[in-house]
Amino acid sequence: MKKCYLVFFLLILIKVAFAQQPPKTFSVNFHGANIEQFVAELELKSGYHFYYNPVQFDSLKITLEVVNVPLQTILDRSFRNTNFHYAIVEQQVFLTKGREIQTTLAAGFFKGKAGDVPHETIPITDYTNDQDKKIPEATTENKLYEIGIKTNEIKSGTATLAGYVKDIKSGEAVIGASIRVVDSKIGIATDQFGYYSLTLPRGRQTLSIRGLGMRDTRRQIMLYSNGKLNIEMQEQITSLKEVRISAEKVANVRSGELGVNRLDIKAIKQVPAVFGEADVLRVILTLPGVQSVGEATTGFNVRGGAADQNLILLNDATIYNPAHFFGFFSAFNPDIVKDVQLYKSSIPEKYGGRLSSVLDVTDREGNKKKFTGSAGIGLLTSRLNIEGPIIKDKTSFIFGGRTTYSDWLLKLLPEDYKHSQASFYDLNLDISHQINDRNNIYITSYLSNDKFKLNSDTAYAYSNSNVNIKWKHNFSNKFYSVFTAGNDHYQYNTSSSDNPVNAYKLGFDINQTNFKADFTYYVNPKNTIDFGLGSILYKLNPGDFEPNGSKSLVVPNVVPAERALESALYLGDKYDITPDLLVSFGLRYSLYNYLGPQTVNYYAPNLPRESVNLIDSTTYKKNQVINTYHGPEIRASVRYNLGDNSSIKAGYNTLRQYIHLLSNTTAISPTDVWKLSDPNIKPQYGDQVSLGLYHNAKANTIELSVEVYYKRLKDYLDYKSGATLVLNHHVETDVVNTQGKAYGAEFLLRKTAGKLNGWMSYTYSRTFLKQDDPNAGDLINKGNYYPANFDKPHDFNFTGNYRLSHRFSFSLNATYSTGRPITLPIAKYNYAGAERVYYSDRNQYRIPDYFRMDFSMNIEGNHKVHQRTHNSWTIGVYNLTGRQNAYSTYFTEQGGAINGYQLSIFAKPIPFVNYNIRF
Amino acid sequence: MKSKMLLLWLFILSLNLSCKKPYNPPAVNAPNSYLVVEGVINGNSDSTIIKLSRTVNLSQNTKSSAETKAKLNVEDMSGNSYPLNEASSGKYTCAPLNLDSTKKYRLHIQTNNGKTYFSDYVQFTSTPAIDSVGYHVTSNGLQIYANTHNPKNNTRYYRWDFAETWKFHSKYYSGYVTNGTAIVQRRADQMFYYCFGSDISSNIILGSSEKLQQDVIYQNPITTILSTSEKIEMKYSILLKQYGLTKDAYLYWQNLQKNTEQLGSIFDAQPSTSSGNIHNTADPTEPVIGFISATNVKSKRVFISNDALPPSWQPAYPYNCGMDSIKVKDVAALLIPIGSTFIPMNPFSYPKSTMIDGYISSSIECTDCTIRGTVKQPVFWK
Repeated sequence: MKKCYLVFFLLILIKVAFAQQPPKTFSVNFHGANIEQFVAELELKSGYHFYYNPVQFDSLKITLEVVNVPLQTILDRSFRNTNFHYAIVEQQVFLTKGREIQTTLAAGFFKGKAGDVPHETIPITDYTNDQDKKIPEATTENKLYEIGIKTNEIKSGTATLAGYVKDIKSGEAVIGASIRVVDSKIGIATDQFGYYSLTLPRGRQTLSIRGLGMRDTRRQIMLYSNGKLNIEMQEQITSLKEVRISAEKVANVRSGELGVNRLDIKAIKQVPAVFGEADVLRVILTLPGVQSVGEATTGFNVRGGAADQNLILLNDATIYNPAHFFGFFSAFNPDIVKDVQLYKSSIPEKYGGRLSSVLDVTDREGNKKKFTGSAGIGLLTSRLNIEGPIIKDKTSFIFGGRTTYSDWLLKLLPEDYKHSQASFYDLNLDISHQINDRNNIYITSYLSNDKFKLNSDTAYAYSNSNVNIKWKHNFSNKFYSVFTAGNDHYQYNTSSSDNPVNAYKLGFDINQTNFKADFTYYVNPKNTIDFGLGSILYKLNPGDFEPNGSKSLVVPNVVPAERALESALYLGDKYDITPDLLVSFGLRYSLYNYLGPQTVNYYAPNLPRESVNLIDSTTYKKNQVINTYHGPEIRASVRYNLGDNSSIKAGYNTLRQYIHLLSNTTAISPTDVWKLSDPNIKPQYGDQVSLGLYHNAKANTIELSVEVYYKRLKDYLDYKSGATLVLNHHVETDVVNTQGKAYGAEFLLRKTAGKLNGWMSYTYSRTFLKQDDPNAGDLINKGNYYPANFDKPHDFNFTGNYRLSHRFSFSLNATYSTGRPITLPIAKYNYAGAERVYYSDRNQYRIPDYFRMDFSMNIEGNHKVHQRTHNSWTIGVYNLTGRQNAYSTYFTEQGGAINGYQLSIFAKPIPFVNYNIRF
Repeated sequence: MKSKMLLLWLFILSLNLSCKKPYNPPAVNAPNSYLVVEGVINGNSDSTIIKLSRTVNLSQNTKSSAETKAKLNVEDMSGNSYPLNEASSGKYTCAPLNLDSTKKYRLHIQTNNGKTYFSDYVQFTSTPAIDSVGYHVTSNGLQIYANTHNPKNNTRYYRWDFAETWKFHSKYYSGYVTNGTAIVQRRADQMFYYCFGSDISSNIILGSSEKLQQDVIYQNPITTILSTSEKIEMKYSILLKQYGLTKDAYLYWQNLQKNTEQLGSIFDAQPSTSSGNIHNTADPTEPVIGFISATNVKSKRVFISNDALPPSWQPAYPYNCGMDSIKVKDVAALLIPIGSTFIPMNPFSYPKSTMIDGYISSSIECTDCTIRGTVKQPVFWK
């Protein structure tokens, strides 16, 4: 190719004429003219002939208005600041791109004179590459990337640059990476797709890009107009597992959000877990404001909310049971999870439907460049993950699976338990596909299954299955949308076959089909608008009790299925009023329709809802709207910067919840059922005010925050004594509305970098409930406030990691909390042949305080980049001090005497080992 | 279902990860002692027995204190009243009442301190007869169960309690006894080898057919007896009483059972106190423990002989027993005094000796069954 040009060059050189004619002058007026228009006009006016390659010039737009100037001047001004050049040879004009045609022979061509400086030519970089058509993959720091439609003149003002930040190795989106314009305050972080949109002054700029676990990098750009730039970043391969909570080091101070914690999988993996396998939910419990009633429970409580008031999302799919085997393992595969965000206070307006928090778990995207995988082997579980491109750089998949082989352990048990079985597995399969730079498709799916049978009597099984598809479409650099459609399913069943007459099968399931559309519009650097809408169609089978076997006399008992539609419309605006003052205001309007077919009981007003007070029962047809609840939800927050490293934030939010978990046990059990709001059961309502102070020290490596909150809960469900929750055709007669209040202060100190890193948190919090419904009948504690089960006033957590070398690191986790409240017996009496106890008012006493310390050590294999597999070991001890923490205390009558016992779950130091391999 | 959760806990306990240890709560004292009312208004030919007592603080050694000198009446809605008399401390009885099974009844209590309590009017529930009491032989003992049915399908909720009696013997046979001055052969009325033991149920036993098409209770577990128990070493008898309940009564008993017998596994309900159907007229918030039902109690007695049980089952004697030979010179000190804990069993003589050289003896626990039972055969025994 180059040779051809050389010939062409020479031809021109020969033709170089002595074109010294009196310069003709022309008047032109172009407004965004393309090259064809430009050339046609000039050819017409000048009579010159223009030679050029139209393809090269298709991005050129010329705006020029001149009167009576020579052709050279027109061309000079038109091509100023571009890499387009012209050469006039007699009546011919040659237009070139990237390099100039010399109309004179190179100096020294004919025994050149010494001292003649050759005209500097810009080296041809990629003459054939049509750069403006393809979005540059900006991989090098020193190259100047030209963005937008080149113009002769760089307009003043701003333009919008947008694109994706990706990992150069895997092609995976880098979430939360910060992109900043050097020497200015302009900057933004990438969203969940690694997408960013930044409005910045036109002209030459340097961008500084920082991402979690990525090497900091810079890009040089020449910004002509709105354009796109995809940035590829390199992973920081030398870094061992390092605690990082937030991608953006200044996020906690600068963002407008309160009560938001982000954890990436690296941080999660270094917290010692009970059987050695990284556990997302257990790490969540170390964050301030998050508590649980005890070890081995599925649920967690955020700022005084009940366990069913947390929206647990895995790639936007609702997970109803986030645990395996009674909470010993969390449902999320640590090899697939990318990061976790917990919203405790500033719940973005796009989320709704639960009162307390949103736990957003995001999977990684598969590697778009090559096939890789990893495997882990522990004492009870093993996991495998494989990922790779389907179409290189465009489509990738990631697959993860986990299973348990604990049956061998059960076989070792005494005769009584030998016939027990317990097993679980979970599978993740995610596919992401880039259609073009404006459209991406993501398909995510999840399946989990748990089965256990204790001593060969009753068999239990439960299963989550979720699938969703997301289409991300960019309308422009400033405006994009995500459309999501999905289906979430949860079911459990129990069965018994020992007694042939009573043999039964009991099933429950909930199915939700959802659709939502979310839009984000970056109006300008100071203003971002989010809006969207969504609907969830619930179908719930509250219980299905069937005979098991031909001898069974069990009457089939089917509680009729329930259906409801929950819809919401939202609009949120983040606005920087001044560089220091950021206001964010969101409004979500939720609408709930309880749908037929259904038979609804109506009770006499102002009387306890009991069967005797039933006055009417109405049957509704399919899809008939039985009743509607609706109302606005406010999500507002304000941030004010107090200097460069500190800020103060305040927030207020309200939420509504239309679905309730029916559980009167202390822990969530897998056999608890969900209930939709209906004419007798009102939705729950909650609101919260919070205030926070944030400070970063030592170049943002130390973060300090203090948050206080006050929260109210309305119409939370509690249960009458002896309530039947399963297979109850009129649950409303067994539940009572409860009001609650919660308040607290959370302190967090976090060190994000250095050999020693980790976090320390202290929470003071109280949660009280009361029943004051005059129609409830027998009131708990006579209608006075009583502490909730998870009211633990003092809670301290320390999670630290010390990196001895690149291959060894130690982690220590320590946690202390006040014992949870319990109801104690206060008197004894003789009844029905035995001594029995009379209980105090609910939750008037506490179990002993809780303390636990865990230790783990990570040993990495060598760090040679080019080897077939990388392996690592995790060795540790859970409950290092072997403290026998009381899970609960209870009193039981044995042979006529009353004895108190305290039950500890992990009462001994539990050593664990895990072997991980990456390929 | 809950008990299966307990099994999970046992399973975890057996993994040695968890542990259960005694817990002594901080000294808690109830502000008051509450009235406890136990009993059933019996519409049968049996007498109605109501026991009144008061709760005591956990830290107190006394079990419970009887509520004496109260006036009790069973009343119906048409003004008939049947008084009860205090038969023994806190135990009030009356002659058999022939109640109308279509009517409602209540209990009226006037305590000695002047307070008046009424139970709610309760519907008389008819109890069907017990069809049979049977047992399963399991790997570690006997599982006794009951069957019943009501063709009218209107009982649905049941409670049982029982009294059990068994014939057993002491470890060793003793043919001799002290009369205070010498060792003499036992008379027939001094034989303490065979005895009868008895006990009453201490657990709440409930059953329901509400989920079945017919009002049938099939093999509802009543009690279990370990294969090593003395109760079945000879002959065992159980007198099972069956009470039909209203749904409310059933829920009360179920709640009581949950709160006092089943707690301990993580999936069990929180303890909660539910009030029964007895109220102080002056102060409705005063807690009163107990639930009054009215029914015609049905009972059935069955016998289980050791012959029918697996021969491999051997009773485990509750005491460590050994034999000792007490020589004549020690007899006066160890065996003669009345109230000695050492009991002569048989005399022994050294070879070639013509006289008694001493007595093979053992402890009273191993030779005298009356320390755990009574020699007198109950009238029903056969």
